[in-house]
Amino acid sequence: MLQPDPWGFEEAPVETWADILAPQYQDIALLSAFIILALISFHRKSVALKYVTFAAAIGYMGFAKSYLISITNIFSVVDWTWPVFKYNIAWCLFFGFTVVSTVLWGRLYCGRICAYGALTQTLDAILPAKMRVDVPYAIEKRASLIKFGILAGVLVYYVATHNVLIYQYTEPFWMFSLLGTPVMWTLLAVLLAATLFVRNLYCRFLCPVGATLGLISFATVFKIKRWSECKTCRICEKTCQWGAIDGPKILVTECVRCDDCERLYADEQKCPHWRIIEYNERKLRVLPLQPVR
Amino acid sequence: MFLVLVTAGVVTLSAQPRRTFTNPRPEPYFKTLFPNAGGFSTFGGTPLHYKVYGVDPKTNPNAPPIGFIFWTTDVVPTDIGYHGPVHFLVGMDTRGVIQNVIMDYNSEPYGYFSVDPPKFVEQFKNKSIRDPFQVGKDIAAVSRASITINHSARVLREATRTMAKTFLRPEDLKQ
Repeated sequence: MLQPDPWGFEEAPVETWADILAPQYQDIALLSAFIILALISFHRKSVALKYVTFAAAIGYMGFAKSYLISITNIFSVVDWTWPVFKYNIAWCLFFGFTVVSTVLWGRLYCGRICAYGALTQTLDAILPAKMRVDVPYAIEKRASLIKFGILAGVLVYYVATHNVLIYQYTEPFWMFSLLGTPVMWTLLAVLLAATLFVRNLYCRFLCPVGATLGLISFATVFKIKRWSECKTCRICEKTCQWGAIDGPKILVTECVRCDDCERLYADEQKCPHWRIIEYNERKLRVLPLQPVR
Repeated sequence: MFLVLVTAGVVTLSAQPRRTFTNPRPEPYFKTLFPNAGGFSTFGGTPLHYKVYGVDPKTNPNAPPIGFIFWTTDVVPTDIGYHGPVHFLVGMDTRGVIQNVIMDYNSEPYGYFSVDPPKFVEQFKNKSIRDPFQVGKDIAAVSRASITINHSARVLREATRTMAKTFLRPEDLKQ
């Protein structure tokens, strides 16, 4: 028979899984629902569902929970120090999903899960296209390397100083906490102002987390399927908002699996692949093949 | 080539001995934790702690301690927050009442609005270790720094209870 705890502490002397999970059920359930929504929107290539996912990413993942992968998580990998799993199951699920989904599909996190990316992509959809400044391809290609330089620089700085607070001047993700210093708010205002004119500026050129996921994306298992005509046709290159298509190649470090090109490949009215098939079929109908005598 | 060199540099530097932080000289905090103390022991025991005396133990060596001062990182060394442990120095009297808590160091990214502001540790002042220490109930929740706040409440609860179970008797605790 169990003796009553003489200390009178509220909890049972031995912590049970029910005790551990009780405060976490809601977070785990809501995070799982969000991940399922993101995966459905990704697999169905649905524009409407993508914007629903963005709304959930901004509202729940951003402002409610501040669940964003940060450069500080990369510092944690360097230090190999992690939140205790049993007390932070939802966060560990979120981090694990980010890594696994990147290996499976590439920078899906950047294109659909990240609250800041969702915010800037939503801004891009709302703002008139006239405002936009399209970065020349030559500059875009070079500017996309800046984020790798920032990643390397910040990592060297961190290893040398162990000052985790460098993140405040490297990434804007803290904004979802609504708590920053005047310097942080000023830098954010400049960044957001520039983003009004250059779409997804931070994600494409500056984000060290995106750079890290871009490097992991070299291991992507399920790549975007393209047609043989993609070697010469450049329509999708013009469609890509992320500068991720370079002629016959998709640049895995830049592609965030936004679906724009994949929707184009499936569009029988627009994609030359289908137009060529249709043309050949029509030609065959007009000029039916005759047996060779 | 640049990336290879940088990666090699990072790996080499990371392989250096890990720098862990525990304030080696917490004595300046002692009067904040126990303003009326007459003296303090040296650091020792299991778990590691300082004993606090009402009168200087040099003048009265037989005087019983009136409290304990200890680091949460010494008593609960395995628990960590978002990026590492938050280092709290705790003063607890012999009735299981927390006299004061000092947040000495943390490497939490959101520490600046969660555990750094003095109002976080102020809520533990004069708190009985019999209290639940539940975030969102008797400990204020900071929703967007929940990993840090939950860790802090957990280590303060576990450290004070471990110290009480080691050095006090159940009947000593404040009812």
